[in-house]
Order: sequence, then structure tokens, then C-alpha cells
Amino acid sequence: MNNYNPLVALAIFFLIVGLLYVIFRPVKGWFWLLKKSIKSNEKVIIEDILKQLYHFEDSDNKVDMKTLVQVLDFNHGRIVEAINKMTINDLIYFDSDILKLTENGRDYALRIVRVHRLWERYLADKTGFHKTEWHDRAEMMEHKLSHDDADLLSAKLGNPKFDPHGDPIPTKSGKVAEVTGVELPLLPVGAVGRITHIEDEPDVIYKQILAENIHMGSLIKVIENNSTRIVFRSEGETVKLAPIVAANLTVARIEKEVAIEDNVARLSSLEANETAKIIGISRESRGESRRRLLDLGFVKGATVSIDLVNPLGQPNAYLIKGTSIALRNDQASKILIKKD
Amino acid sequence: MKKNNIDHIIELSNELRWQIGDEFHDNLTEGIYADAADIVKDTVKTSDSEKRFRLDAKIDKIVTSKYFGFPIMFLILGTVLWLTIVGANYPSSLLANLFLDTIHPWLRSGAESINMPWWLSGFLIDGVYLAVGWVIAVMLPPMAIFFPMFTLLEDFGYLPRVAFNLDALFNKSGAHGKQALTMSMGFGCNAAGVVATRIIDSPRERLIAIITNNFSLCNGRWPTQILIATIFIGAVVPESFSSIASLLAVIGIAVLGMAFMFGVSWALSKTVLKGEVSTFNLELPPYRPPRFWKTIYTSLIDRTLIVLWRAIVFAAPAGAVIWLISNLHIGDESIAAWLINGMDGFGFLIGLNGVILLAYIVAIPANEIVIPTILMLTVMVTGIGGGAGAGVMFELDSINATGDILKAGGWTLLTAINLMLFSLLHNPCSTTIYTIYKETNSVKWTTVASIMPVILGFIVCFLVAQIWRLF
Amino acid sequence: METKVNSACETCEHFNKEGLKKLGIQTDNFDFVVALAGNPNTGKSTVFNALTGLRQHTGNWPGKTVMRAEGGFEYNTNKYKLVDLPGTYSLLSTSEDEAAARDFILFGKPDVTIIVVDANRLERNLNLVLQILEITDKAVLCLNLMDEAKRNKVEIDVRTLSKDLGIPVVPASARFNKGIPELIQTVSEIASGQIVCKPHRIKNVPSNIEKAVRTLTAEIEKEFPNIPNSRWIAFRLLEGDKEIIKALKSGEFV
Repeated sequence: MNNYNPLVALAIFFLIVGLLYVIFRPVKGWFWLLKKSIKSNEKVIIEDILKQLYHFEDSDNKVDMKTLVQVLDFNHGRIVEAINKMTINDLIYFDSDILKLTENGRDYALRIVRVHRLWERYLADKTGFHKTEWHDRAEMMEHKLSHDDADLLSAKLGNPKFDPHGDPIPTKSGKVAEVTGVELPLLPVGAVGRITHIEDEPDVIYKQILAENIHMGSLIKVIENNSTRIVFRSEGETVKLAPIVAANLTVARIEKEVAIEDNVARLSSLEANETAKIIGISRESRGESRRRLLDLGFVKGATVSIDLVNPLGQPNAYLIKGTSIALRNDQASKILIKKD
Repeated sequence: MKKNNIDHIIELSNELRWQIGDEFHDNLTEGIYADAADIVKDTVKTSDSEKRFRLDAKIDKIVTSKYFGFPIMFLILGTVLWLTIVGANYPSSLLANLFLDTIHPWLRSGAESINMPWWLSGFLIDGVYLAVGWVIAVMLPPMAIFFPMFTLLEDFGYLPRVAFNLDALFNKSGAHGKQALTMSMGFGCNAAGVVATRIIDSPRERLIAIITNNFSLCNGRWPTQILIATIFIGAVVPESFSSIASLLAVIGIAVLGMAFMFGVSWALSKTVLKGEVSTFNLELPPYRPPRFWKTIYTSLIDRTLIVLWRAIVFAAPAGAVIWLISNLHIGDESIAAWLINGMDGFGFLIGLNGVILLAYIVAIPANEIVIPTILMLTVMVTGIGGGAGAGVMFELDSINATGDILKAGGWTLLTAINLMLFSLLHNPCSTTIYTIYKETNSVKWTTVASIMPVILGFIVCFLVAQIWRLF
Repeated sequence: METKVNSACETCEHFNKEGLKKLGIQTDNFDFVVALAGNPNTGKSTVFNALTGLRQHTGNWPGKTVMRAEGGFEYNTNKYKLVDLPGTYSLLSTSEDEAAARDFILFGKPDVTIIVVDANRLERNLNLVLQILEITDKAVLCLNLMDEAKRNKVEIDVRTLSKDLGIPVVPASARFNKGIPELIQTVSEIASGQIVCKPHRIKNVPSNIEKAVRTLTAEIEKEFPNIPNSRWIAFRLLEGDKEIIKALKSGEFV
């Protein structure tokens, strides 16, 4: 130990730590980049092209080579290479300049879309990932899951028909359900409906939707609709959207008179000494946590009051059906109430 | 097995599920509660409906109040811990007297009188018996005090209020308020703390509580902390302050453990456990007077004896290993000496030494035997007088004499501080590891829970050693 | 079908004290299996201990009994095995505890299910009771913590409750061993078939769901004519419960 110097030891230590950080740091670490570049092999490129073509055809848009290169995040040469291979394998064909899917190509594309949407459903229902992460994670998964795995996953989820954005999940045999409803801007003032689809592209617009209190399956009532903005009420909040953003929401109109409560508040806003009736649970609460709230007795019509105020602000304890249950504020904010 | 053709039923159920929409579960639960309300309207009369019962509400107002809530909590939990540590001293030394100073010599002379070969009596009596006796003497009294007291609090209904009060802190590190209790339980025994995580019903938060339970300084480690702090930390301040200084040092280590618990919980919830499902709910049950004797009896049977039994099962082979490595020779050195020499370099780098590292390896089954093993190995490699021979663990009644042996083994203040840190930050004992595996049923999480603290320990000790040597 | 309602005072005369023997953990060669279900914090484990003479530890906590505890008792020459299920609020969700309790009542086919409820919080507890009554028709309600209820001035009309639920109701304070003899007597009468229950079925179900459940129930009964809880199975199929699908395929039910 004669030639030992603590400074040198420290320096070596921090060098190693720094190196590990550069290699393994999230997303941009070398390790992940390397992993990604190995994975973006031909299969991934082909599948991504198929998926893009499917989406374009689905929305009746035409694609040529140029647009395709623009939307895909691969280098030009590899895309051309992949396209050539796909034409040979009878997945796509050229109709003059326009790229089109063959019968086989469409089947293949549907399978990828199926895996992607199933996986999003899985992330939404069975995991704790935030909704902003679903899409990217599903994007990675869609190339990994085999056909059989997808069927197993589907059975495990109870063969869902729609993904958490409301997009239909193609069935095993390639059938695709219809999304019911119309774009929100087409609804007149006073109309009541249920949100059946939230378009997650383009990203900029989707982020604006995420920022608002808008959830799949919640009831809305249109209050104002003109060329500058659309205002509607949903779960007790008033939401104002630009028409271009609102167009990304699909709403199924409910014709019969549905009472949409006006003085809706959230349980988190309840003060000590107040009592309230529960109107329902926001659509934002899904899966296991929603079920748990219901099982604990937070059901429509139940009376609720604050039992104990927490010394640190939260969780507060609520008296519900004779028992004191503590909920954190983010949970309480998902329970809709009407104060007495 | 008979196979039924039910595909059409499944098909139909899938079809119907989509017709009735995703409100099925909501509607069904609402329907059941509506039925329940109807029945209750028919059959139950209350004088003061929906109000919670008055005495409960009064107690709750006090124990969760802004001003009294936390002092009451610290007072209660502190008292429990203090009673455990202080109260265990006397019965522990009594048991040690009995097992180690009375029965052990008696067994040895008995073995001699029937001409048992030295290696057999050494292996069985100095190895296996001594380790088991040690673990019982050090482990049983604190657990027999701690668990009944904790269980009484639990049965009374106070503990859910602790979780309620502290949840906001745990929430910030992605954990569950009930982790406050599994952590407190860990101060008694980490294995019991890991079992106690069953009260956390959210999968992610439960895993966090299991993995970080080891940061609660358990009963097996308190005596080590206190001994080393008394010898080394107490000595650097004037004598009148020495006991308070060593006390503060030990509390400091325990608090540092909590800091690590929060930090690691936070890191886990932000990284590897990000995707696990997280649900929170905490029922505050009515207070119920615990049945005193019954609680004491059941907590002794259920918690203390089960944990003790597991510890004995693991300690016995550890005793055997300790004896074997000190008595089997390769060339002219014992295996222990070889291992110590091999690890000395690394030990020095992190401010410890080969003896300590070896002691921690052989003492994975029970933290209780770390100090006796260190003493035995130190005497063996330094060749100074004292001790009871190769492979025979021992401890001294005099703290000064213990300090002398350790100083002869090359210990400095740095060694002492790092030992205290390493005692906090190392792998859980094998009983706990086994319990973690049983509770998580996952090799992956058991490995993480076992390896992560030891790596943290290396890093912390390394940094402390380098910075210490710079000045 | 006749429902015989036994209140506490009726049964205690019949109770044969000499016929009771607590068997602790000896549970071999039993004649009947009895399941013990209930919400957390209802004193379920106290009932378990009172019946078996065991001293299982129970905390004042939800979710305490994760591992299934078993015990036994002997009454009038019949041996009963008692299985303590995890305390849950419901049987409809996917948590481990709930799946364990649900699967035991459904697949373990206990001869009697004792449902322990807190008399002070009957409404909340009925959520679980009504779910269990969809699965099994051999059940008894143990109205526990009657001492607390009395202190809190909660009055319960046991006869009407029993009529509404269609199963015997036994008021008890298991802590003080009150009502336990009556409970044992009732369990033995259900097990031997002397009492035939006609359990309540969930009524307040929205019409579209009720329609779907009916359609599905009819299909299930066509395939499995003797199934007693086809409605519950329909509920579970609509939830997409994989265990149920597996069990239907292998015919584990019938």
C-alpha cells in the first residue's frame, strides 16, 4: 500500500462513475443507443413502413416516397432498400407514384397495429406507467411480440376492442370495429355526448389535450361552439379548446336526456364540516385503482365527509359508509361530488 | 380431464362485454351497494347514523393533530425502542452467562471426559453450539420485548394512525405510509419487517418496502453500533461527554439509515419499479382495547419464536464454517488467514480490513456474531494473547479490553466509523434474504435487495475513507 | 323451498356442549369443510380462534391473513375443517387476496361458509356478503362485535335481516365467546342439510347488464345443467376472469 494515494483512488472512482453514467444513463446512454441501433434492423423498418402506410390509407391520404421518408426516422438509403424488398415480397406496390398496401401487406400491418394497441391497453390497465409514456413503450413492443403472444395478451385483458385512446384493436382475423361518434366541433351547443376517441397524433396537439381534464369515456356537454373556440363541460370542469385541437376528439352523441350535473366538485376540495354526495369517479381513474375505490364504497349516491385532516396536508381521512378511509389528494381529486 | 366445449360461451361473453361497455364493474358495484342500502334500511336502527363513535373520534383528534400528533408518535415509538435496547441488556447477559460461560465449558469438559476427538468437539461445541447459543442470547431478549409491545400498539389500532400521519413523507419518495410501520418493525428484526409488508396492498409500494427494510438498523446490529461507538467515538471527546457522544453517533447511524431508506425508495420508484401498479388506501379502523396476555402470548409464538427458529437454523452452519476456516489449514496458514490476507487490500481501500470483511461474509446468517467473530479472528491473525483458541468466538466483559484487542488489530477511528457505516449498509442476514424470497417469490428482487445495500456500503465506506485520508 | 330462520335464543337450547371439541390444527379426516370469510377488521380471526381453540395472531389491520390459516373442531361426532380466508372488501377485483378468497369459495366448494361482519358497519360489509351469496347458497352470517354495536346504540333486526338475506344470522361477540355455540350449531345444521338457505341475489343491476347476464346464464346452464351459481359465473365471464374460463373448460365445477 506504499504507492497509494487517496486522491488517485477518488479520481479513479469518479472516472468509473462517470463512465457508467455515460453508458447507462436513461435514453441517451451509449448502451441504450447501441441496443436501439441493433434493433432498428430491416424488420423494424419494414414494419414501421407498413404501419405508416396503413394509417395513411385509413385516413384516405396518399403517400409517395418523399412523404414516407419525411415521417420515418430512418436514413434514406435503408428505407429505399426496405421498400424494394417489400415490393418483391408482395407487401406493397406502386400505383404510379403512390405507395399502396397489397392484401398481404394490409394483413401484416393490421397485426402490428393489433400488438401496438393491445400493449397500450395493457399499459393503461395493468401497469402504473403514466399515459404520456404508453405510446412510446408500445412502439418498442410492437416489433417484439409474436402473433401467439398477442393472442395470450388479448385473452388476459379480456379481449378488448378498443385501446385507451379509443382506437379499435384489430381482431385476430383482422376485423376492425368502427369508432362511433363525430368530431367534437361538429356538435351543436347544448349537445351531450361521451368521448369515444382521442387522437394521439400529432404530438403537439395531443399534449394540449393531455394537459386538460379530458378522459376517454367521460360525458361532456357543449356550451359554446364557434370558429375561434369550443367550450364544453366535463366532470365538473369547463374546458376551452381551439377547433383544431377539438377536432382530435371524437364524441358519440347521446340523444336521450342525460342529466349532466352542473355543480360538480372534487372530493379533494371538500372542507372539514362539509358533507357531500358522490356523483361518480372520473374516467381518469382506471383499472385496479378505480375498482379499489368502488370496493371501498365510493359509489354513486354515497354520503361522504371529512373525518380527519392530516397534519401534513394529505392524505385526509374520509368517512364513507361508516368507516374512515384515508385517500391521497390525487385519488380524492378523481372522485366527483356534489356538496350538500 | 374432460374437455368442455365452451368456446361459444366465451365468444358470447366477449360479445356481450362490449355491448354493455366498460361501466360494467361500476354498475355492478353500485348495484350491490344499492341492495345493501335497501337491506340496511329495513333492519338497522342507529341513534346517530353516519357519525363516528365519539371516543374514537376524540382519540383521533389528538393523535393526528398538527401539534401533538408527531410528538406523541415519536414519544411512543422512541419509548418502545429504548425499552427494547435497555431492557434487553440484563436478560441478554443472563442468557450469555448461561449458554456461553456455563454450559459451553461444561460441554467441553463433558466431551473431553468421553474422549471425543478434538475436531469433533471443536466442530460441534465451539462451532455449531457456540453460534447458536450466541444468537439466542443476543436475539431473544430484544425480540421478546419489542414484538409484544409493537403488537399491542398494533392491536389497539394506533399504528394505522402513524401511517396516516407520515404518509405524505413516504408519498414523496414513491412509497406507502404503512412503510413507516414495516420500517419500525425492521428496527426489531428485518425479517419480521419484511413479513409485515403484507399490510401494504399495493404491489409497487410493497416491493419498495421489502427492498429498503434492511436500512432499518435491526436488533442484531444495535449492540455492535453501541459497542464500537462507546470504544472509539466516546474516546475522542472529553470523558464527561463520552456517553452522550457515542449515543448521538448511534442515533446518527439510525437516522442515516432512514435517509437511505427514503432515498433508495425514491430512486426505485423512479426507475426499476416505475411501471408497477400503485394503489393507495388506508383504513383507519376503530380502536379496540387489546387483550393484553393473549397478545403477548401470540406475538411471542408468532413472531419471536418463528424468527428465532429461522435464525438458529442459519446460525448453526455459520458456526461450523467459522470453526472450519480457522482450523483447516492450507500450507501452513489457516483458510481464514488466507482469506483475510486476500481481502486486506480491498478492506484497506474502503477503510476496513480483511478481518472485518471475512467476519461479515461468515456472519451473513446472523449479524449478532459479527463482533465475536471479529475478535476471534483478530486475536488469531495478530497472535496476541487472549481469546479461547482458533475458531472459538468470544466476547469480553470489559469494554476497554475489547478496545485493546481491536487496536492491536490495527483499528483506528476511521475503521470504527466505517464499521458502523458498513454494519448499517450491507447485505441483509440470510434469514431476511430467505424471507424476502418467500414474500416476493422472485429471484430478481431478492438479488436486488441483497446486493444493492452492500454496493452502497462499499461506495459510502470508500468515499469516507478517501476523504478521511486526504485530511 | 323453506327457509328456517334460527335466531340466537332458538338455537342455544339445542346446543350440545359436550359435543364440542376444539381440534386446533389437527385437520385430517374431516367430514365438512367450513370457509370463514369477511371484511378486514371484523374480528374474523377472533371467530376463527374461538371456533378452533387456536391462537392465531390478528392485527387491527386490513390484509393481515395473507396465508390461508386452517384449523378444526369436532361437534356431535362430526369433524369440521375451518379455513380462514384473507379479509377482503370485495371478491370482484384482481388482487391476490381477493383471488384467493374467491377461488376457495368457488372451487374449494366449502360445505358451509361463515361470513363474519361488523354489526356497526353492516352496510359496508354487505357488499362482500351479497357477492358471496351469489357464489354459494350454504352460508351463515355471523353478526360480530354486537357488544360494540350495543355500546354505539346500533340496533339490528336479526329476523328481518335473516329473511332479507335468506340465510341464518347469528349475533355474536367472539371476543367474549358469545354467540359461538349458536354459530357452531347453525353451521352443523347447514352442513347436514337441516337448514336450507335461499340466498338473496343482487337485484339493483341496470337493465342492459341484467339482460346480458340472463343471456349468458341461459347459455351456461344449457352446457352445465346442474350448476348452482351460473349467475356469478356470468358476472365473472363478463369481467373476463381467466380462472373461470379455465375451470369451465376443464369442468372443474360439476
